[in-house]
Amino acid sequence: MSISLRRIGLVAARDYKATITSRAFLVGLFVMPVLFVIIFTLIPRILNSNSPQVVGEVTVIDPTGKVTAELQQTVTPADIERRRSMEAGQNPAAPPAQPARTPVTVTGPAIPRLTLVPLPGDADVQARKPWLIQPRNATPQHLAIVVVRPDAVVRRADSGAFGNFDLYTSGHIDDNTETVLRGSVRAALIAARLHSVGEDPAAIATAEQVTQPDSVVVSATGEHAGSRGIARFLPFACGILIFISVISGGQALMTSTVEEKSNRVIEVLLAAVSPMELMSGKLLGHLGLGLTMTGIYLLMSFYTLGVYSMAALLEPMLIVYVLAFYMVTYMVFGSLMLTIGAAVNQMAEAQSLMGPVIILLVAGYSLTPIVGLAPNSSFSVAMSFIPPINTFAMIARVASSAPPPAWEVWTTLAIGCGTAALVVWFAAKVFKVALLMHGKPPNMATLVRWARMA
Amino acid sequence: MTAALEIQAIRKVFGDKVAIESLDLTIPQGAIYGLIGPSGAGKTTAIRMIMSILFPDSGSISLFGGGTALDAKDRIGYLPEERGSYRKMTVGAFLTYMGCLKGRTRAQASGRADRLLGRLGLTDVFAKKCEDLSKGMLQRVQFVAAIVNEPELLILDEPFGGLDPVSVRLLKEVIAEEHHRGATIIFSTHVMAHAEELCQQIVMIHQGRKVLDESIAGLRRQYDRRRILLEPLDPGANLLALKSVAGVENVKLNDQGCDIRLVEGTEPGSAMRALAGAVAPARIELARIRLEDVFIRLVSESGTANESHEALRTHLQGLSNTGASS
Repeated sequence: MSISLRRIGLVAARDYKATITSRAFLVGLFVMPVLFVIIFTLIPRILNSNSPQVVGEVTVIDPTGKVTAELQQTVTPADIERRRSMEAGQNPAAPPAQPARTPVTVTGPAIPRLTLVPLPGDADVQARKPWLIQPRNATPQHLAIVVVRPDAVVRRADSGAFGNFDLYTSGHIDDNTETVLRGSVRAALIAARLHSVGEDPAAIATAEQVTQPDSVVVSATGEHAGSRGIARFLPFACGILIFISVISGGQALMTSTVEEKSNRVIEVLLAAVSPMELMSGKLLGHLGLGLTMTGIYLLMSFYTLGVYSMAALLEPMLIVYVLAFYMVTYMVFGSLMLTIGAAVNQMAEAQSLMGPVIILLVAGYSLTPIVGLAPNSSFSVAMSFIPPINTFAMIARVASSAPPPAWEVWTTLAIGCGTAALVVWFAAKVFKVALLMHGKPPNMATLVRWARMA
Repeated sequence: MTAALEIQAIRKVFGDKVAIESLDLTIPQGAIYGLIGPSGAGKTTAIRMIMSILFPDSGSISLFGGGTALDAKDRIGYLPEERGSYRKMTVGAFLTYMGCLKGRTRAQASGRADRLLGRLGLTDVFAKKCEDLSKGMLQRVQFVAAIVNEPELLILDEPFGGLDPVSVRLLKEVIAEEHHRGATIIFSTHVMAHAEELCQQIVMIHQGRKVLDESIAGLRRQYDRRRILLEPLDPGANLLALKSVAGVENVKLNDQGCDIRLVEGTEPGSAMRALAGAVAPARIELARIRLEDVFIRLVSESGTANESHEALRTHLQGLSNTGASS
């Protein structure tokens, strides 16, 4: 019996063309990037743009007599904006020390306009609490009561710590407003404490301002901008890229096989091609599909990183490894999905058999952020050699800031190829028997029995 | 002449059920064979083994003088009983794809598919999606898929199932054309009338065993010496009166006249003379033996019938009537 590469090619081309032009695949192809865009950019913007500015009053009971004045400063929108910038690692006061790659706008919820209502230091808090209870639409809104402790600015002689403040809030205050208020009171307390010991809070605030510089990576091939934050994300990104491509290709492969079986076109095909040719063609067609998907995602990543001058993160060898690990992972999981597709009569029957396959895939890509943080730990090294999740662990290590030696990468690839060969062999045996089987959906034990029969 | 198909002592078992037992068959090139038997007899299993879709547990199958169907897929056309198509593909693309899989170029496959669609009354479906066709149209398209590669061996498993009479006639004509082109044809059916009409040779299978391998000409030379068909000259003649003629066991009236069954041992020549004397005939003849009768007799003689004769006859007649109506 001879295997015809021509027939394998024809089956692969048909499956590739039929799937890549299907509406479901096109939607699936762009769903992930669109989701990312929505999650990382649009949702915060939408949420912020829609959040109305809170305008309300805050009662302050300040027995120290020093915090209220500071608080008047720290609740101003300008001061709140300044603190947000500092938390984002920017220096709002100083000019940039080096040309910024792309200005990053600090976005956040609308800044609330808070008006302070100072009460005498000995005012009764209990008597004031009903002030917070009012209808939701009341104007002005009574948002909170801040009660500064007497030793909040000057420590008591018998205590090493400053006193704090108590906060009573209305039931209608939102989380953002409360956070802003807490931050403002904290800043006011620090300023009052510094003033009390003769220090200049403004000078100290200026001294605290250290803009984080962008690192410059020096390598044998030259220098390029480092990207610590993005680099930490890279192992996970590579893992999820492989995961999405494998699961998309595998699902499409399974669906097309189930359809061919339920449409009764399988036997028509088997008149023209052998089961091995049919299986090989289908596997290759959908491998091409996954490669196309991976290629599109890589191009999109190139473009996006290029906008931020970080395209250098995607080194050529990393891309080669992503493609190689994708192919190995696909052959393992795709073959399993193909087997399931051949064994069942309808998609609904595939769910129970798909469970373990999906769990293994998810386990693989879930490893990537953990392995990426400690790429050379014993756990990470061990995971790199345990199939079928070894490809995910290794790509995370390769994409990390401390990649493993080449021999480890090639060993993982060799183990992956061996696993793929074993799974394809099993799939071929089941495929041959299962294609013409109809009736009760099989379980795992039945699949093994069919493999023995073939 | 080299045999198109040579089967030697094949056996196939599914679990506890023996699907095919010791089947031997040789089909010469250019012949047209009918593989008949009731549903579940093992016809489809035998065909799947010929096609190397299933493999025998023992025995051998060789095509065109050597090798299996896996080595000769491009030379075979196959219309399975369970046939489908790619619903989203256009008819033209589907047929071209099937032709290409069987070794034809795109141009050859597309051109022949177009011609055959026209021949089967489907001139305007080339660009339509398969899912847009009626069941009957789709069956004709599937038939075209089986012959788009101009096969040397054409295997048709229940080709007329579910077709309307016009489509059945068209398909029969095209099968005859393929035969005249030189193709060897094997087709399975449980409709005896189709087999009688199309085949040169009949192979009967029952419970996985071959019970008959005989030419149609040979079968037609066999008569049922206990059955006489009589058509009266006078349509108003009293045919039931024939019951009183010596040697007559039973008289069944039908549209043309009557079907007379003789007592065992009665000499048919003298009985015919006596019957013609009793009622003037427009036509009187010995009944030709029917395939279903042959089948029942063979099954009874081989001792493989688990059903009663009447049950077997009812089963086969029911199927025959389906076919006869087409």
